[in-house]
Amino acid sequence: MTRTELSEAIAIALDALRANPLRSVLATLGITIGVSFVALMGWFLAGLDSSLQHTINMLGEDMLYVDKWDWSGRTSWVEVSNRKPISYRQAQELADAVRTAQYAMPMGQTRAQLSVGSRKAESIPVAGVPHDYGNTPAGAVTRGRFFTEMEGRSGAPVAVLGPVIAKQLFPDEDPVGKEIRIAGQRFTVIGVVRQRGTLLSDFADRLVLIPLERFLRLFGSGQRSFITVLKAGSLERLDDVREEARLLMRKIRRLRPEQPDDFTINETRSLEQSIAVLRQSVWGVGLSMSALSFLVGIIGIVNITFVSVVERTQEIGIRKAVGARRRAIALQFLAESVVLCTAGAVLALLFCTGLVLLVRLLIPAAEFLTPYIPPQHIAVALLVAFTAGILAGWAPALRAARLHPVEALRYE
Amino acid sequence: MQPLIVLENVTKVYRTEGEEVHALRGISLVVQPNEYVAIMGPSGSGKSTLMHILGCLDTPTSGRYLLNGRDVSQLDDDELAYIRNRQIGFVFQTFNLLPRATALKNVELPLIYAGVPAAERRERARRALEAVGLGDRLHHRPNELSGGQRQRVAIARALVVNPALILADEPTGNLDSASGAEIMRLFTQLWQLGNTIILVTHEDYIARYARRIIRIRDGRIESDTPNPEPVHLEQLPSMP
Ligand SMILES: Nc1ncnc2c1ncn2[C@@H]1O[C@H](COP(=O)(O)OP(=O)(O)OP(=O)(O)O)[C@@H](O)[C@H]1O
Ligand SMILES: [Mg+2]
Repeated sequence: MTRTELSEAIAIALDALRANPLRSVLATLGITIGVSFVALMGWFLAGLDSSLQHTINMLGEDMLYVDKWDWSGRTSWVEVSNRKPISYRQAQELADAVRTAQYAMPMGQTRAQLSVGSRKAESIPVAGVPHDYGNTPAGAVTRGRFFTEMEGRSGAPVAVLGPVIAKQLFPDEDPVGKEIRIAGQRFTVIGVVRQRGTLLSDFADRLVLIPLERFLRLFGSGQRSFITVLKAGSLERLDDVREEARLLMRKIRRLRPEQPDDFTINETRSLEQSIAVLRQSVWGVGLSMSALSFLVGIIGIVNITFVSVVERTQEIGIRKAVGARRRAIALQFLAESVVLCTAGAVLALLFCTGLVLLVRLLIPAAEFLTPYIPPQHIAVALLVAFTAGILAGWAPALRAARLHPVEALRYE
Repeated sequence: MQPLIVLENVTKVYRTEGEEVHALRGISLVVQPNEYVAIMGPSGSGKSTLMHILGCLDTPTSGRYLLNGRDVSQLDDDELAYIRNRQIGFVFQTFNLLPRATALKNVELPLIYAGVPAAERRERARRALEAVGLGDRLHHRPNELSGGQRQRVAIARALVVNPALILADEPTGNLDSASGAEIMRLFTQLWQLGNTIILVTHEDYIARYARRIIRIRDGRIESDTPNPEPVHLEQLPSMP
């Protein structure tokens, strides 16, 4: 194929696009929609990944949570909800017995009403933790301080707020030193946890931390299930800590050898697995929707390219008469459908970028979404559109190339 | 000297819906380089069919066609396209210009398929248009030109590749007599410059420009004679 043939084909294709802009846009709509699916899917998944990474960094990669609940969702819900709760005593026993971990501590969780004067917030997650929690990444404060060992042991009425709930209760002032009520009882705010903006914003950014002693007095330990938080200290020690904790917990729970674990040792990494499920369904839906749109799109382009061949029959005759070979004519129509599809893809990418920026602007809660569509997805979208163009143009191009010059010239 | 064209018993049969039309029933013909031939004959006698075969736009059903000594009667589509591109300039009754392209672009067209680079293409197209007297109409589209001017663009397109053979099927058929005479004057000049020209016409006064007149009837050559009193350019009334 000569360069002049190729550049002529592209010039004709662009000219055809200019001649019929509206028809072209309509013809390429399916491709536009298909590419939009790919782009938006990429956008969403990239957002998911980055917020997941964020969460893992925040919680610390070397953290283990021995819990009745399986965070990854891999154990069946029925099995998990039939497990006996982990009592405060068991969680404490495990924390005391573990030797390999850097830190080990029991933690209680519940939801309660918070109020400041007449301002109320319902169902806010409240966690009771020992003072050691201040040494984990999740307990790092940005303002004020974490509670001391003294405050922890005595169960002082002090609270460390997550950044989002802090903002909610004290929109315009520094919360440190202020008084709040948790489930009706007075607490003094002594610190605010570092802002993260994560996937589990409920878990991290709205969480209120109080001394475990105070938590037990306020909410009781009754049927509540407690968690043992373990910080291994390094990734290399994670396996040892997990194994030790598992054996200890089986003993504490009095499991016979043949019985399965009636608890789960959650890791920050198990979040990745729960995300993997979501990721798969996004891919599944996204891919089948875009495949469908591409199919519809290709049919549209095939149709419009056939129309173009018929409309240009005389032109084909003229080009053949002055010496255009089959491939030159075929190239002309392939270029036309490829240009159409690529134009549709570019249109979709512009549209999606606009949409992404708009969502960022209008919905601050969507902050976990990255403000851009990942370049690999743009490349994939363009490549698929290009391929769709070739597929769609093939049959019409072949028909055009095989026209007999005299008959094409005579066509009215 | 090797003849430019040798036709040996060429026939053409069109088959449409079981019906056979014998458009050419055995044409034998020799044309030397730099001849100036007019083909005449009643409607339906096979003139266009013959021109299409001579122009490698179509192939004979039987018989041989030697162009410059090469048998081109059995070539495939792309080989014929190559010969049309390099050896033949074809001028049609209905001009057959690309409507959306300028005169310059129309004349460049054969050079595109010959792989000539853009700058040289433009220059050669411009010179061809100047040669047919359209140096001041390079950027006009066909609908901005008169019929005679359109046909001159088409002639420039035929000339631009320096073909061995210029074919014209009723080139003046869609023109008034003044424009027609203008076009014939141009063909005659091209012939004087050494080109070989074969044209089809219904009109005696057009055929008078040629130096040899072939009459065909019902797919056969009826007569093939030198033109006894050809028009010389000096005899022409001067053109505006
Ligand atoms: N594509 C075709 N299919 C079937 N028959 C055809 C075809 N082309 C030409 N013919 C027939 O072949 C015969 C010769 O046609 P041709 O066009 O060569 O005549 P012509 O001499 O050019 O006539 P005119 O002076 O009207 O242009 C006619 O009978 C015509 O109907
Ligand atoms: Mg004819």
